[in-house]
Amino acid sequence: MSDEPTASNDVTRITCAVHPRLGTQVTECLVSLGSHTVLVENARSVRQRIRPRAWVLPGQQVELENSPMELFRTTVPRDSALQVIEILTRALELHTPGRGAVYAQNITEYSQLEPPVILQAPAQESTAFRDFTLINGILSKAGGGERLTESALRLGACVPIVTRGFGTGLRDQLGLLRITIPPEKEMVQLMVPAQDAAGIQRLLIEDARMDRPGGGFLYQTPVSAGIVDPLLRIGRQEHAASMEQLIAAMDEIKHGTGWRKRFADLEESKRDARFVTKRSYSEITLVCSEGKADDFVLAAMNAGAGGATTGRVRCLSASDLEGGVGARERGVICVPASIRDSVVRALRDTSRVLEDPLCRIQVLESFSVFFHQR
Amino acid sequence: MSTSSRIRIPRHTAWVMVWNYAKSRVLDQLKSVSFILLYLVGFQILVLGSTPAHALRIAGGIAMVVMGLAFFLEGLILGLMPVGERVGVQLPRRCGIFLIVIFGLLLGIGSTFAEPAMASLRAAGSTVTAWGSPLLYSMLNQNSLALMSSVACGVGVAVAFGMVRFFYGLSIKPFIFVLIPLLLLVSGYCAMDENLQSILGLAWDAGAVTTGAVTVPLVLALGIGVSRASGKQEDAAGGFGIIMLASAFPVLAVLILGIVLNPDMPAPASGADFFHERNLEHALTLFRSESAMHQHALRMAGEEARAWFPGESLGQLVTNGTDFLQPVPGIVRTEGLLALRAILPLTALLLVVLWMLRDRLRHMDEVVLGIGLAIIGMTLLTTGIRTGLAPLGDQVGRPLPRVFRSVAKEEGRVTIKPFHPKDMWTSFSTESAPTQFFYLTDKSGTPRVEPFDPRQYDAGSASYEHILESKPLFGPELTIAGIGLVFMFAFGLGYGSTLAEPALSALGRTVEELSVGTIRSSSVVRAVSLGVGLGLMAGVARLLYDIPTIWLLLPPYLILLPLTYFSEEDFAGIAWDCGGVTTGGITVPLVLAMGLGVGGELNVSDGFGVLAMASAYPIVTVLIFGRVVRSRQQKRIREADLEDDDE
Repeated sequence: MSDEPTASNDVTRITCAVHPRLGTQVTECLVSLGSHTVLVENARSVRQRIRPRAWVLPGQQVELENSPMELFRTTVPRDSALQVIEILTRALELHTPGRGAVYAQNITEYSQLEPPVILQAPAQESTAFRDFTLINGILSKAGGGERLTESALRLGACVPIVTRGFGTGLRDQLGLLRITIPPEKEMVQLMVPAQDAAGIQRLLIEDARMDRPGGGFLYQTPVSAGIVDPLLRIGRQEHAASMEQLIAAMDEIKHGTGWRKRFADLEESKRDARFVTKRSYSEITLVCSEGKADDFVLAAMNAGAGGATTGRVRCLSASDLEGGVGARERGVICVPASIRDSVVRALRDTSRVLEDPLCRIQVLESFSVFFHQR
Repeated sequence: MSTSSRIRIPRHTAWVMVWNYAKSRVLDQLKSVSFILLYLVGFQILVLGSTPAHALRIAGGIAMVVMGLAFFLEGLILGLMPVGERVGVQLPRRCGIFLIVIFGLLLGIGSTFAEPAMASLRAAGSTVTAWGSPLLYSMLNQNSLALMSSVACGVGVAVAFGMVRFFYGLSIKPFIFVLIPLLLLVSGYCAMDENLQSILGLAWDAGAVTTGAVTVPLVLALGIGVSRASGKQEDAAGGFGIIMLASAFPVLAVLILGIVLNPDMPAPASGADFFHERNLEHALTLFRSESAMHQHALRMAGEEARAWFPGESLGQLVTNGTDFLQPVPGIVRTEGLLALRAILPLTALLLVVLWMLRDRLRHMDEVVLGIGLAIIGMTLLTTGIRTGLAPLGDQVGRPLPRVFRSVAKEEGRVTIKPFHPKDMWTSFSTESAPTQFFYLTDKSGTPRVEPFDPRQYDAGSASYEHILESKPLFGPELTIAGIGLVFMFAFGLGYGSTLAEPALSALGRTVEELSVGTIRSSSVVRAVSLGVGLGLMAGVARLLYDIPTIWLLLPPYLILLPLTYFSEEDFAGIAWDCGGVTTGGITVPLVLAMGLGVGGELNVSDGFGVLAMASAYPIVTVLIFGRVVRSRQQKRIREADLEDDDE
């Protein structure tokens, strides 16, 4: 694993999800801290809107409301992660419900570029919570993504962030018959309290009917620190403070989300084997120039990976652009930990062949993987 | 890309997969066509009180439209758009801006010649007379190649400009603020000349019509590719705006062509003056031969024309039969060739460029299948339109004037024999004036009162020739309700046909994909359809009240400029593109049938301008839709920020 040229670095990936209007602020903030590359992906957040029923009928109706979001990703040295999160949180006022979310994940990155040196700012007390887990869902676009976000909101999990991508894998092994399976995927991210993640995942699988063929793929990745957006519902409010504000305030007082543990009965031993695998997995993310992801995915699949989901991202900082071209592809591959090294090696070999200085491979442990099995 | 192993699917499972896939696509299209279909048939049965003639043939045509739309859209998604996008992404990486501009020019010019809109423009101008609008007549006939070339140049320049814009990440707004006032100014100048005035409608329609069902998705995909690869535009929806340019430049090109041709054109005059001996030589310049001139005069003015050519034998009017009842295989053949011509050269150009860029497509088999599906789809679609949708539109559109016309029209004659004056009754008005009438039993067996006309009575043979009249639906006085109904019809026609427009659905999908689902394809399509409906109402108003085109084009464009200024970049691009996309294969024949029906009845010189309105108003509705969406989202941010409740 140590054969150069691409060196591995233990770094932290910071992901910040905000409305596009706050986008410039995020980029400026990150660049001023010293970050040299920011990857931007278009996304949407989904919330419940509560409104009185039409025609003066009694009661309320709940509908889903989408609003545009942008996901900003950058990598920073591990020791600067908390500081970066804190600065972003303050600059973007992320403690206010509805402004957005930010989280950090410890990863191993293979890249020709060294991680940026983050300018040290005066130490600030960290207000980020450390007890979160990210549930990642990859579902087919036709209805699947919507069902999962709806369930997540109904369960009060968090504000889902949805991005779009294209799936490769099984589909590509069908020959021309693949056209009958739409490649469009929706990738849903849910940041939930770690202690409830298993329970929420189980409920999501049942509620969004993912335990059926073609239902989708669900896995969890650890979050080292983060600020979550608790504004699940908007619209009519009947009390001086909304439930979301109360939860946010309690989280702050209790310095975490441990107090809201919901699934007390869910012991490790009682976990239903139908809902999670016990094997450990790895999430491998690769970022490369647009049009080259196919070669990487092919290499990964030849090394044993089942498939990949690729999405389009933009590279925003100018310093390392290849002739000013900012179009990138970001592929996510989830493989059992046992074949992780061989897949990473295959990807690195591909990147060496392509001599792509912009290519980077990020590896992150993942667990509680769920997909339909016959 | 070949994968290490290939999964073999049992034949039965494969059939189930293909069946489910095909079913969902066909059902989607059936849904999109159902509105316009039910609307047309409903209008015909309920309002006009007739039933569709040749129902079986029309039903077959409609089935072809549905299948054609499903095939064509799938072909666009699998084949044409991925190729366009791939070329777009690769171009800025491997070529300089100069080569990109050349490529844009070629693609634009090629697409116009591949998908000529001349047929629909000719149809709109089928009532144009050489003496009423000589310049317009000449551009549609003798100078039609010049017209087509100028449109092609316009589209070429537009695509090239679009490429430059994406390459440097320029905003669409300056282009709009320079181009549109320029177009309005030139149009204003033309409106002051009696000859140039006549081509205003043609010019604006040419702009609207040229961007066809193949060009739009291809150019859109290409633009999005270039925009993303050049990466200078931070905006997610960068890549739009090119269709707008491809609609605006041709208008300018056609107007310039008109201004260039104008000095040599005879001035508009009455038929008698135009073909008068002293003007005859000038008039002849508009025709290939003298007999062609005679035929035109005879066809457009009927027997009256004989008086204009004293001492000449004009011969008989040679009419070309309608193509409606042509055998279907013949239509399929011609339409198939047109589809091949529209799709193959353009995709071949793109594939060659891709090959020259030394790039390869990931799924070549998929692209080839897509191109095949697009060709089959387009053939089916256009054949279906010719045999099903257009005749149906025609059956409703042509008799449409009946709903507002205040004069009854002769429908046929019956001879009643023997007819005795004693069979008649007399009624008196309040002024004691007597009127004589008799009863005539109609088809349903109901006796109806019919006034007696003494001139039709032949006492010698004791027979009465009764003239059957189709009565105005709302009585001779109640024309306002009738006109209201025509407006309603125009609105529904525009709304419904736009819902089924394939290029718009491709655009909607692209918008939804780029906005990650925050802007739904269906809402864009609905906003556009609403705009087309309103635009057609304006177009009908032009025909009904003979309002000059410029007066109907000015207001929406004057509203559009400030609206664009205040709207966000992405919505500005999308909205202006929607304007160019709307008038496609389904809308145009239906609109023309209605326009010619109404226009022909009112002796309006041509059916132009209606399409231009159908392309201007959707921009307004989409921009307003954009503002509503944005303000709702901003309100939500405000709610989040301030925690105030303004429900």
